[in-house]
Amino acid sequence: MTNGEKIDLLEEMLELKSGTISENTALAEISVWDSMAALSLIALCDEHFGIQLTGEDIVKFRTVKDILDIMVG
Amino acid sequence: MINPMDLTGKSILVTGASSGIGRAAAVKLSRLGAKVILTARDQERLGITLSQLNGEGHAYYSYDLKRIEGIEEFLSKIVADNGILNGFVHSAGVSEMKPLKMSKFNSLHDLMLTNFYSFAELIRCISKKSSSADGSSFIGVSSVSSIKGNKSQSAYSASKSAMDGIIRPIAKELSARRIRINTVLFGMIGTEMFNEFLKKGGDISAWKDQYMGIGDPEDAANVIAFLLSDASKLITGTGLIADCGYLS
Ligand SMILES: NC(=O)c1ccc[n+]([C@@H]2O[C@H](COP(=O)([O-])OP(=O)(O)OC[C@H]3O[C@@H](n4cnc5c(N)ncnc54)[C@H](OP(=O)(O)O)[C@@H]3O)[C@@H](O)[C@H]2O)c1
Repeated sequence: MTNGEKIDLLEEMLELKSGTISENTALAEISVWDSMAALSLIALCDEHFGIQLTGEDIVKFRTVKDILDIMVG
Repeated sequence: MINPMDLTGKSILVTGASSGIGRAAAVKLSRLGAKVILTARDQERLGITLSQLNGEGHAYYSYDLKRIEGIEEFLSKIVADNGILNGFVHSAGVSEMKPLKMSKFNSLHDLMLTNFYSFAELIRCISKKSSSADGSSFIGVSSVSSIKGNKSQSAYSASKSAMDGIIRPIAKELSARRIRINTVLFGMIGTEMFNEFLKKGGDISAWKDQYMGIGDPEDAANVIAFLLSDASKLITGTGLIADCGYLS
């Protein structure tokens, strides 16, 4: 999956208009990035990549790229 | 001295017996004199539970309860090996935290298989005369989530409400044979499931209302033992709340 496709997935999950976020966007700048979004990300990574993220993993993420980097498989 | 929670001579099937509340219940029931039949998927962890039981004659069976179609045959084998049952505890269960928009049918169905459909199918099979004695007691391990919602737990809450719902008509149907069926709505209990909840980013502040603290699995086991014993003969068709104050 390309980074572009991964960003599409994230934007769909966060219900953001296409093109709102890019690799360099800081998570703190995304207004809808909150604890529920983090839980959604856990579910998304499980469903699409078979990855079991934990809350501890997520608090370390700073930018969208940090998320894209773990979306493999 | 009499012990009103005595379970001597009773055969009790416990699902989810490889961990947490199920394991603590199995140990407690054995101490009260019951012969306990343990089931879960993980053989090794079932073996650990077995080694903690008091007395002789217990057994364990590894089975994935998501395989609903096989439950009837699985239960026949248990009864053929161990004789008919006097009690049943469904503690097998999974919890998940998924915001509504991620709760698609597939994941809802998957959770319902373990938490609810297996319970319904087990009860259907166990309640036959050939599988359980008159006067038996059946218990579903439910949760306060059945009646109070927390964000991202729609599937889990629904599965527990389904358990609480199905027992009421069943209690009436089984009353002719003096069989009782109840659920226990536990608050947060300190088990693997609780650790997972924290690990997956669960919000502990949602549980601050549980003002008597996080429950000990052994105390949860006592509630289950009570409902299995003749000490609770007046209780059927109900959801007993054991929540360390959470809902009050
Ligand atoms: N802990 C709490 O705070 C709390 C509060 C209220 C209600 N409850 C309920 O209490 C019950 C027990 O929870 P717990 O805290 O003891 O959790 P736990 O330690 O995670 O134990 C869950 C048990 O369910 C079994 N299980 C899961 N999926 C299964 C499957 N497909 N087939 C067969 N067995 C399966 C597991 O065994 P294997 O993995 O070996 O199969 C394990 O023995 C659950 O129904 C839960 O919803 C818990």
